Amino acid sequence: MAADPYRLAEGGRIDRSRPLRFRFDGRDYQGFAGDTLASALLANGVRIAARSFKYHRPRGVMGAGVEEPAVLVELKGDAASGNRPATTVPLTEGLVARSVNAWPSARFDIGAANQLAARFIPAGFYYKTFKWPDWHLYEPSIRRAAGLASAPKEPPQGAYEARHAHTDLLIAGAGPAGLMAALVAGRAGARVMIVDEGTEAGGALLNRCLTLGGQPALDWVAAVVAELAGMENVIHLQNATVWAYREHNLMMVQERAPANSSLLGRNWRVRAGQVITATGAIERMMVFQGNDRPGVMLASAAQAYVNRWAVPPGRRAVVFTNNDSAYAATADIARAGIEVAAIVDARDGVPDHSRALVPGIEVLAGQAVTSVRGGRRVRAVSVAPIRGGADRQLDCDLLAVSGGWNPAVHLYSQSRSKIAWNEGLATFVPDAPAQAVRAAGAANGAMELDRALQEGVAAALAALGDLGRSGQVPELPGSDDLPYTVSPLWTAPGAGAKSFLDIQNDVTVADIELALREGYSNIEHVKRYTTGGMGIDQGKTGNVNIIGAVAERQGKSPDEVGVTTFRPPYTPVEFGAIAGRRAGPVVLPYRHTPLTRWHKNNGAVMYEAGARWRRPGYYRRAGESFQDTVNREARTVREGVGIYDGAPLGKYEIKGPDAGTFLDWIYTNVMSSLTVGNGRYGLMLTDDGLILDDGVAFRLAPDRFLISTSTGNADAVGQYMEKLLQIERPDWRVKITNVTSQWANATICGPKAREVMAAMGSDIDLSPDAFPFMAFRDGHVADLPARVVRVSFTGELSFEVNVRPRDLPALWKAAMAAGAPFGIAPVGSEANHVLRVEKGFLSLGHEVDGTVDPHDLGMSWVMSKKKDDFIGKRSVELRRASGRPRRELVGIRPLDPNRQVPEGAPLTPGGRKEATEGFVTACVWSVVENRWLGLALLTDGRARIGGRAHVRLPDEVIEVELCDPIFHDPKGERLRS
Amino acid sequence: MPYDVTITRLPLRALFDLKGTATALAAWCGTALPPFPDRPNSRMEAAGRGLCWTGPDRWLLMAALAEEATLAKALRSEQAPDDLSVTLVSDTLTFFAVTGPDATEVMAVVTPLDLHPDIFPQDGAAWTEAFGIRSATRRIAAGYEIAVDRSYADWFEESLRRAST
Repeated sequence: MAADPYRLAEGGRIDRSRPLRFRFDGRDYQGFAGDTLASALLANGVRIAARSFKYHRPRGVMGAGVEEPAVLVELKGDAASGNRPATTVPLTEGLVARSVNAWPSARFDIGAANQLAARFIPAGFYYKTFKWPDWHLYEPSIRRAAGLASAPKEPPQGAYEARHAHTDLLIAGAGPAGLMAALVAGRAGARVMIVDEGTEAGGALLNRCLTLGGQPALDWVAAVVAELAGMENVIHLQNATVWAYREHNLMMVQERAPANSSLLGRNWRVRAGQVITATGAIERMMVFQGNDRPGVMLASAAQAYVNRWAVPPGRRAVVFTNNDSAYAATADIARAGIEVAAIVDARDGVPDHSRALVPGIEVLAGQAVTSVRGGRRVRAVSVAPIRGGADRQLDCDLLAVSGGWNPAVHLYSQSRSKIAWNEGLATFVPDAPAQAVRAAGAANGAMELDRALQEGVAAALAALGDLGRSGQVPELPGSDDLPYTVSPLWTAPGAGAKSFLDIQNDVTVADIELALREGYSNIEHVKRYTTGGMGIDQGKTGNVNIIGAVAERQGKSPDEVGVTTFRPPYTPVEFGAIAGRRAGPVVLPYRHTPLTRWHKNNGAVMYEAGARWRRPGYYRRAGESFQDTVNREARTVREGVGIYDGAPLGKYEIKGPDAGTFLDWIYTNVMSSLTVGNGRYGLMLTDDGLILDDGVAFRLAPDRFLISTSTGNADAVGQYMEKLLQIERPDWRVKITNVTSQWANATICGPKAREVMAAMGSDIDLSPDAFPFMAFRDGHVADLPARVVRVSFTGELSFEVNVRPRDLPALWKAAMAAGAPFGIAPVGSEANHVLRVEKGFLSLGHEVDGTVDPHDLGMSWVMSKKKDDFIGKRSVELRRASGRPRRELVGIRPLDPNRQVPEGAPLTPGGRKEATEGFVTACVWSVVENRWLGLALLTDGRARIGGRAHVRLPDEVIEVELCDPIFHDPKGERLRS
Repeated sequence: MPYDVTITRLPLRALFDLKGTATALAAWCGTALPPFPDRPNSRMEAAGRGLCWTGPDRWLLMAALAEEATLAKALRSEQAPDDLSVTLVSDTLTFFAVTGPDATEVMAVVTPLDLHPDIFPQDGAAWTEAFGIRSATRRIAAGYEIAVDRSYADWFEESLRRAST
């Protein structure tokens, strides 16, 4: 194991008493607690830590935080994850990481051969080539050559949590502005949540050597953090990022290291009354030839490495800037022992306060770095006057660059609030808010510490005011921070094919120029064509430079060019954190009936059958195939008696003086004429006159009805009825109560059903005359209070015995015992499907697919001619008036009786490759005809009964005979028996 | 480190869905009902019976299952006036208790409801969402009680267990 030979002897916010071992690209290293992977790599002299996305160019660490565009790593082991900026990975004992997009390592990468072909693979090259014969032929290898980390193959060892929170004020960022805002709001008693992406609070103060009130600024940070920790009304999260800003101030926060050690991470969904984005600012790159060479680093990052991690990222530095902030950075790195060869400042005039920070260091004003020397790392830079003149070479191994600062407006923009160009700062700053949000500090363009603190106070007071509270202005400590001025330099002289605007996506100045030449002049098109600003870093260091470069080339101002959309996530988020605990067996809700245990114990194969219900599909017995089982169960019902669990059927009580009127309005037929104790089958239509649902309505009392709905549509129909009453007919006196789960039923069906009912014992007269089809009776069955309904989904004599769910197991047990002499057997939904197809009954999701009306299904009889109106009536009449052909329900029998037709298969004229004229809605092995048969929706189908149609499959055509869609008991004598 | 909570599946209880104005219901039901809650998302209790506000002119009466028959007789749902709806719904909901020092932590995972004492005080009771499905939530002495549709109970119990470990 190597030591960390590049570490300064003292200083930094690391714990030197806690050395940590880690492994990177197959080599062992050592760092300290408090390091990031990036700082530890630099401390160990690892300069090439990554390969670029497209050209596999060598890359080194460029940033110190979330802005890092170059070094993405893949973590291994228990914490496996991909595409993590090395600057955001806290070092832990035993950490194992590798660079992405490099093989076998970043130091020696086979893919570096791509650099030889760089001129042939400019932006959008894959749009122009690889078209013949098929893009998909090339796609896999292109994707392999470019790219990022692969997803872990195994689920993480541990769990994530997703939780909700509410707060009066959410503050994104615990830098000076955010901390000050939290202090003011917290002292005022508001519920405050302050969230910061760093491992400790302080923001940019952690990286700099500033004072507040004459004391080190970090002392002030520590005091504020301590005071906030003592406030019960404040939640303070570090190592947590506000990664998305949604509607109505719903904020998404990813907490990476929750206090609960059993959690890998936690995602918060925070509903905030007010939001302050105090997210700081991100330094821009400078754009010149070779600006991606290892050794080129943001000046603020170099400053952070010496101050925070005691790591000098080089021995001899050149600083290239266009603004004042780099001078403080230069002073800090010089103080750490790095020799500074010169400061190259693109501005003609350098403020005296900046020069005063770097006495003795040469300042080359009005000049620019035009290129970098060195193959695998910076060895020297060429410097030339911007207005022309001879260049000069400066030896160095570190080039610290600062192209100015961009407020981190990502969250503010995600809130759909406007951002606007600020000429003085040469960047975009927050403008008019679209939600209850304010920006403060550097995120709002207040680049100096004193102004940042003032803005934190002002934002908090304004937010408190909007919350109906008031706060106190605290004492503001004065700082020694200096003014910030900038004069943009979007591209240095000679910038071209190796001048990178977007480091992460390998987008160069030449790519932008190509896009513009090819007519992609809108900035959104430039982004899509070049991919500049996309990817994991979402253009944090590159976006504004791209806009500036485009503006420069179009002769416009950046304001006229405009900005692209900032999209969440602000930083990468693990899918696991979003899912939280809802993974594996609970990823989706499932519903059980009271008989689930019985079904499972008796061999049922359970699966979802609408609205999340898990129901028995079939009860396989030893030696049976699937088809054997279904046939046996279907024959049981046709020839003897079966029983099925009908608990999931939707049920609603409709009560009130206008209940009948309401039902007449939502059903196509008349329900208000029902007499107490009787029911009627009906259809509900949508406003478009298409079938929404089917069911049966029973009249329980003069002002009270019970309606049933299909299982899958139960909730939707309930919401639909409520909506109609609350919005369209609020004057109607109707009350709806969902009783789906108050009544469960066992349906006893088949020719011997009455005998079984009698054997169970009932005080209800079960004779056909006393208890006819479509009637219900309240009484007792097997000594249990029950409501028995005579409806049939199978086409056989059926008794639907409804009881309280708590009683259903007892009822079922009694039915099985009483039915045993009659050969009763449970039947699943597969057999039910066969039975209803034989009878020609419709099924939602099969024949009712959202395109059919009752006439299409041969159910014109259900369309009342007596009623003036009902929902969907006008639409049906309008559509019918057009006279256009419709797809109509028909029965089909394959000419080969043993040939099954796949459900959903298309019907085409003559089986030719033409537009479909319908499709097969169902196909089953019929136990009454001992052959395959089915139902189909076919254009002008009814008129074609007796003819033939053709099912077109990928490799064959099946000819079918068209017939009436009722195969069994067309007169309905059996179900009425 | 699992959360310090206890998840308990509670036995059935008598439940009646009531619809109508408080005045009309009070007149019809008489002393069978506790006083009506005076604000949304709250609950009143008397003599072991609880009455929750569940929506405008909507209420849920809770009592021990042993009282179901007595209440049914007192409330006379089948004779209720036109403008009232009284429906026995005891079997529709399954109740769970989430109790213990970390109950609020677990509830933050379960429901988006704001459970801050200023917003959801001791008499708080609300129809809301839990793990994405409809649920009724209320405060109890040592934590919270959540009710979901009976059919979801197994899935919900497993989800609660996972959230607490």
